[in-house]
Amino acid sequence: MQHILLVLPLLIPLYGAIACLFFWRKLGVQRVIGVVTQLSLCAASAYLLYKTDTTGILTTQIGNWQAPFGITLVSDIFSSLMVLSSAIVGIAVFVFSLRGLSNARQLFGYYPLLLLLQMGVNGVCLTGDLFNLFVWFEVLLICCFVLIALGGSKPQLEGSIKYVTINFLASSFLLTGIGMVYGILGSLNMAELAVLVRSAEANHGLITLASIFFLVAFGIKAAIFPLFFWLPASYHTPPIGISAFIAGLITKVGLYALVRLFTLVFVLNQDILLPIFLVLSGLTMVIGVLGAASQVDFRKILSFHIVSQIGYMLMGLAIFTPMAIAGSIYFVIHNILVKTCLFLISGVVYRTYGSFALKKLGGVYLQQPLLSLLFVIAAFSLAGIPPFSGFWGKFMLAKGGLEAGNYGLVATSLGVSLITIFSMTKIWNEVFWKKKPAPTEEAARVIAEANTAHIGVLRLLHLPVVVLIVCILFIGLYAEPLVNLALRASEQLLNTESYVNAVLHK
Amino acid sequence: MKTLILAVAIRIFIPLFVIFSVYILFRGHNHPGGGFIGGLICAIAFIFHIMAHGPKDTAYTFFTIKYFRKAHQTGRSSVSSVLVLVYKNLFRKKELQAAPDWLPRQWRVDPIFIISCGLFLAATSGVFGLFLQQPYMSALWADMYLPVFGKPGTPILFDLGVYLLVLGVVLKITFVMAEE
Repeated sequence: MQHILLVLPLLIPLYGAIACLFFWRKLGVQRVIGVVTQLSLCAASAYLLYKTDTTGILTTQIGNWQAPFGITLVSDIFSSLMVLSSAIVGIAVFVFSLRGLSNARQLFGYYPLLLLLQMGVNGVCLTGDLFNLFVWFEVLLICCFVLIALGGSKPQLEGSIKYVTINFLASSFLLTGIGMVYGILGSLNMAELAVLVRSAEANHGLITLASIFFLVAFGIKAAIFPLFFWLPASYHTPPIGISAFIAGLITKVGLYALVRLFTLVFVLNQDILLPIFLVLSGLTMVIGVLGAASQVDFRKILSFHIVSQIGYMLMGLAIFTPMAIAGSIYFVIHNILVKTCLFLISGVVYRTYGSFALKKLGGVYLQQPLLSLLFVIAAFSLAGIPPFSGFWGKFMLAKGGLEAGNYGLVATSLGVSLITIFSMTKIWNEVFWKKKPAPTEEAARVIAEANTAHIGVLRLLHLPVVVLIVCILFIGLYAEPLVNLALRASEQLLNTESYVNAVLHK
Repeated sequence: MKTLILAVAIRIFIPLFVIFSVYILFRGHNHPGGGFIGGLICAIAFIFHIMAHGPKDTAYTFFTIKYFRKAHQTGRSSVSSVLVLVYKNLFRKKELQAAPDWLPRQWRVDPIFIISCGLFLAATSGVFGLFLQQPYMSALWADMYLPVFGKPGTPILFDLGVYLLVLGVVLKITFVMAEE
């Protein structure tokens, strides 16, 4: 049974993409396939999480080659949580794209690409082999490249060139690191690496050196200070459906890999690594939020906030106690949902008012009170105001930090929350609250289009936002299940023996 | 680039390349070769044809299925009419050319169709193991030996999928570049 369960999150999107390829020019068929695939992917991921939680870590050896030689798929609670949240976000973005993306763009393989991207994300989360991790990252990044460039407008191409260049650089760092690890330890299976690293004859200095390569590679992919400059330069360029998915998910996948490797394999020289993480996470938070405070474009503010929030997720890894890592896990899940939701809200605003620039927008509150309410909930969650979801993540991180005596970092994180509220208030004041300025020509055209559009179209655009808000409210107001899951997941991460046993000795 | 020499030589080379690529595909299990390299070699044949005759000619000659279809369907279920269509087109083509109520039709096989067939085959080759409670991609072998083919098993499906995928991708790229 577990053989099927573990490959389903990879096979469902793959078969969906293949079916879409068969109907390359038939958009209607592709949409139907998309609905079926997304729903079944979500169901399969939910069942995978349920099974992993009740029966412990699940493994399967692809091709029936036993563990250190073949490729292993492993799902523990953290990875299946990632898979489930990516499936939820996938549904939301899919529904939004039905009307939020121009048909010309959809015709150029948008649906198969989105599905393959989801397959890549699931692959990264489920693999138990270092080289396989690299391959899944490439699958994911190539889909991202094409999606960002899809449609080929000038800013998109500019953004995608920056994205491609810096991410290929990151991939080459990753490959070098993998080569070094293989050279030092002679294995690529993560469970076996975890055993080898802890053995008496392991060369600690060299392993730490290799781990720095991984830190740089995933640091670029997760947009950690000082390697984040590509993110605000490229994430605001593609159409909103695409940028919502990429912005919501991809950096967190980089962070997932970082957490996985630095809890499982590279745990030796913590007196060197943890201070580095501490400084990096603090600086990432502060610089990201300062960047956001200085921006005047809806999507650019949100892009800089991604960077800032990555700092919080890294904070748990820097403190390295079960409570703090659980906080990180909770925060990753919360942030995937909230960030996608905020991007989708900016998309709805764009579809109705024709601009992302704060100066040109205004008066949304009077015309769309529901959307304003949804934005307030998402923004408060992002800033971490109780009882919304961000609060619990920050609370766990702060509690873990105080228990471990990292007062400076906790103080920084709380200060950054204040500035987050400030920049969210800025969006609120400019977009929703202030009086509406006279529209420009392009905006006038979009507004006229939106007024003539069928009311069902706008309702369909609201639907994914509402669904995500319901999820956010659920994990905020009824946080206990997810908090418990996160605590169990962090215990699994820190107690590497269970992982090793599950993979190597059935 | 229309040269007479290439155009004549290509008539001999195309079957040669295709047969050789299939040979490479099948020897790949135990020797150098396999689906990837086989697909590339097969694509060479069509690339030469595009160089000699241009992409439209190649698409018409090799990637267009010409068939006949009855103009009016009268009182038959769709399944049986499809069966009749396939049967008549496969075995009674000469009759159809003379028949007035069967009209000639064309279906152009887009390289993307070849790509998706290849992907489907490769992905499905792994699924068989799942049905027998084994991990994905477990190799299953039949207990018999065919004269030329060897021992049939699921890995050949995977290789065949890769073959089609590579062929389709190279063809798609070549068609797009040649049409520009």
